[in-house]
Amino acid sequence: MIILKTENLSKEFPGVLALDNVNFDLEEGEIHGIVGENGAGKSTLVKILAGVFPPTRGKIYLYGKELHSHSPRELINIIGFVDQERELIPSFTVIENLFLGNEIVQGGFLKNRELQEKAKTFLKNYNVNLDLLALTRNLSPGQQQMLTIMKVLFRKPKIIIFDEPTASLSVKEIEIFNRLIEELRASKVSIIYISHRLSEVLSFANRITVLRNGKKVVTVRANEVSEKDLIRYMIAKDIHEQYPKIKKEIGDKIFEVKNYANKKYGFNNINFYIKSGEIVGFAGLVGSGRTELAKLIFTGDRNSVGKIIFLSKEFIPKGPKDSINKGIVMIPEKRREEGIILGMSVKDNLALPYLDILSIGGFLKEQAINKRSLFLINSFNIKLASPLQLVYTLSGGNQQKVSVAKWLGERKINLWIFDEPTQGIDVETKTEIYLFMENLAKNGAGVWFISSDLNELLAISDRIYVMNKHKIVGEFSPPYNREMILSKMLGG
Amino acid sequence: MIEREARFEFQNFFIRYGTIFALFLITVFFSMTAKGFVEIANILNILRQISLLTIISEGFTMCLLIGEIDLSFAQIASLASVISADLMLKGWNPLISVLLSLSVGPLIGLGNGVLVTKIGIPALITTLATGMITGGTVYMYTKGISLYGNMPMSFLNIGRGNIGPLPILVLIMFLFVSLLQIVVNKTKFGKYMRATGENPIAAWLAGINIESYKRLGFILSGSGAAITGVLLTARLGAASPEGATGFLMDGFATALLGQTVFGIGKPTPFGTFIGALIVGTLNNGMTLLGAPYYIQDITKGIIIILSVSATSLQKKKIERR
Repeated sequence: MIILKTENLSKEFPGVLALDNVNFDLEEGEIHGIVGENGAGKSTLVKILAGVFPPTRGKIYLYGKELHSHSPRELINIIGFVDQERELIPSFTVIENLFLGNEIVQGGFLKNRELQEKAKTFLKNYNVNLDLLALTRNLSPGQQQMLTIMKVLFRKPKIIIFDEPTASLSVKEIEIFNRLIEELRASKVSIIYISHRLSEVLSFANRITVLRNGKKVVTVRANEVSEKDLIRYMIAKDIHEQYPKIKKEIGDKIFEVKNYANKKYGFNNINFYIKSGEIVGFAGLVGSGRTELAKLIFTGDRNSVGKIIFLSKEFIPKGPKDSINKGIVMIPEKRREEGIILGMSVKDNLALPYLDILSIGGFLKEQAINKRSLFLINSFNIKLASPLQLVYTLSGGNQQKVSVAKWLGERKINLWIFDEPTQGIDVETKTEIYLFMENLAKNGAGVWFISSDLNELLAISDRIYVMNKHKIVGEFSPPYNREMILSKMLGG
Repeated sequence: MIEREARFEFQNFFIRYGTIFALFLITVFFSMTAKGFVEIANILNILRQISLLTIISEGFTMCLLIGEIDLSFAQIASLASVISADLMLKGWNPLISVLLSLSVGPLIGLGNGVLVTKIGIPALITTLATGMITGGTVYMYTKGISLYGNMPMSFLNIGRGNIGPLPILVLIMFLFVSLLQIVVNKTKFGKYMRATGENPIAAWLAGINIESYKRLGFILSGSGAAITGVLLTARLGAASPEGATGFLMDGFATALLGQTVFGIGKPTPFGTFIGALIVGTLNNGMTLLGAPYYIQDITKGIIIILSVSATSLQKKKIERR
């Protein structure tokens, strides 16, 4: 039985047709995967279904009845939506977030004991282990994601929409999540499932709908297609190599960290090096300290001890500005919060790190700025209507390109730190970013590459360090032993 | 469906140009109802009336640009106003008196900036406190008495004189607005301040010294206030400890209205000028109509809510994407 159906659904944002006449249906008890590149319209489609915003044209039928204008409030008990951006209140405890809008009250007072009992049994049912009284802001990204999922499940919706649910989950949490999906399937809940991880979609879904440029390409049965087929549907042209490799020469050590420690952040006896022309991967679980270590070294911290050698000189990190001037840049993991300035134009974002050079006596050299931004937009293939467009209007992959491209210029940069550069972005853009990293290394820079996607890490890195609980617990060279790396990552 | 699209366009128009449209409507309304409103003399009069408000609000706009808030600017204006009057009444050289009284602006602004960036006190609390300290100092300095007497004509001319048909105050205002508009849009300092205000962490990671740009915002806010205070003395030929306190509310109103001018809720010097025009036109027109002051306050309040709602609705949409 079809419980949710759309007819010629379209959505226009100023200047963009984000969704173009999409016909989509969802059967009862099915898991329906939606895949496509960034900007293909996946999030737009599910946001309309969840009532986040109305469609520009087209109809939606729920249980055969046409939905007119609706808002998330009206449908919250029928359609649950686990958004990409976790909608939790950081200063609330786990239990407060879990029950938000659903509190058990008597005469206006919360019945705390009853709430706690209920929460405990509920979480236990799904094998989720969360400290009910912990502040949400102290949870890891993965735990926050699990809490978001629990919050949605708590309302027992008939339809659940997951938008990239596993992007921030650790390996263990993914296991719990997988079991949870199977339980939901068994209890006849219908699921719409968006993910960039195609293998995941293939293993869960009954049917898969592929979107491209806002249009539906095809809806297929999952057991009749392969990952390659899906990729072919998603992008217009065939890609021969998802993980390109360029021949490059590995030179001398350009960056070395000796006996680094930072008590405040729990680092002790950290030793590693990066050579010129080398891409060095950092593997580890979420929370293993990879991002913190890179950030501490890039931004500097008074509590740090140990020796860092960069370009044969001692390097004492004083802050981002100093590091950048000496030739180190970092592309942060949270691109929307840290990598780009959402409310400024693409042109301004691209110019920001180079305004010192692109101005005389403080006055901007408009021509030079325009020329450089056009060059970057073209060479990075950033898709936009105009360089004056605010950067938040771009798709995730294009935002990431801005976050990376802005560093290219006259300044000599010898060490590039990439923190999860491909998280949540489409296959084609991923390949472009790998290629960019390869080219940086080929030109003699060192690349420090943090990633939770083991496939790309093994394919791209020339050497890999594994981190676990704020320690470097292993160093690997190709050919990689995947099982060994995994066991080091997970090792207690 | 076509209807829906048409409505969408209409909405966009309102969000983008709503504030300028409101100014237009207000002007049309007063030209039809208030006698003498459209005369050139009155238009110049409006411009002169808003010149001080514009300058003080422009300073405050720089503080909004770096993502902070300043509650001390009206008190800074009062302090600069009474110091300039006092020194000149004591017979000091007018130029030195002006320079000395102007210096309190950047100094207190710097103090605000240091407390916010180095110690980490929220700007709201910092500037509330420094505003109180400054206000108290004004009373201590004047013993609560207004200062008036013979001031040098060269000084009073700034507040009262014309160059051609234009009052000098209006020229200073235009100069100040244009200068800041250039700084914000055409210099790296402006871009850095904007980046700092929009997303301090991303700006910091891009190598911008966000603390010094935050301090710059407070310094500019204080400077605009001190300039306003000195000009106020020049215009009135006197200074009272209460003289500039009214600028706090009108300054906020002006700068907030100004943020809506380009429909994106961002502080811009030119936008603030339009905001001042709206507030000034309302004040002037309603006075001509003989409306009591409380009606003026109520009207200003309503206009602020109406214009700010347009952009806030737009922002809400953006956040939902």
